[in-house]
Amino acid sequence: MIKVLFFGPVAERIGRREMQLDFTPGMTLHDVTHDIGMQHPGALSIVSFFAVNQQQVRDKQIALQDGDEIAFMAKFSGG
Amino acid sequence: MSEPVRIQPEDFSQDEEIAALKASSTRMGGIATFLGCARDFSAGHSVSEISFEAYGSMALSEMRTLREEAITRFGLLDARIVHRVTTVKAGDNIVFIAAGAEHRAAAFDACRWMIDELKQRVPIWKKEITPQGDTWVTPHP
Repeated sequence: MIKVLFFGPVAERIGRREMQLDFTPGMTLHDVTHDIGMQHPGALSIVSFFAVNQQQVRDKQIALQDGDEIAFMAKFSGG
Repeated sequence: MSEPVRIQPEDFSQDEEIAALKASSTRMGGIATFLGCARDFSAGHSVSEISFEAYGSMALSEMRTLREEAITRFGLLDARIVHRVTTVKAGDNIVFIAAGAEHRAAAFDACRWMIDELKQRVPIWKKEITPQGDTWVTPHP
């Protein structure tokens, strides 16, 4: 399974904070982004950062592993 | 002694944080601090409260990395970063950063660098609660 996390404004647009996706070999971050984007049109337009297992990643072609934790994040506004 | 990098709902004591910083080295000749607190006015409207949310584990990890980088980059003797994640009212403390060095220049530079980097790198989001409704503070991508 792949755990997908949403925070703050992204969670508000998606309407939930977490979802579980079935893992398939060869699955990429792009695949997950595409699937969620199709389920929630427009909701990801504010996503600026992605993290896989709490590390920011910029290449959406990164191959995922079973059990990975992905986060979709809007621009940060702490401080 | 408390951890030098923390995310917590409760308020912090600047005196206690500075005392902990000073306790790390008697060679410290300069300490610069930044205190971020909640304003009651933002972007042309009144703000009643500010609510924070964090990707806790990643935020803490990023803050720890940030502290280590600052110590190396500016030759600090020690540094501390504390960020509250809760709902605050105007005047309440939000974030505290302290940089301790042998001399003031490194302390000032490091303190400014840490808060600037924190805003860019640490996954924390704020929502302003106003009389007109709630708004996430989200710069456009």
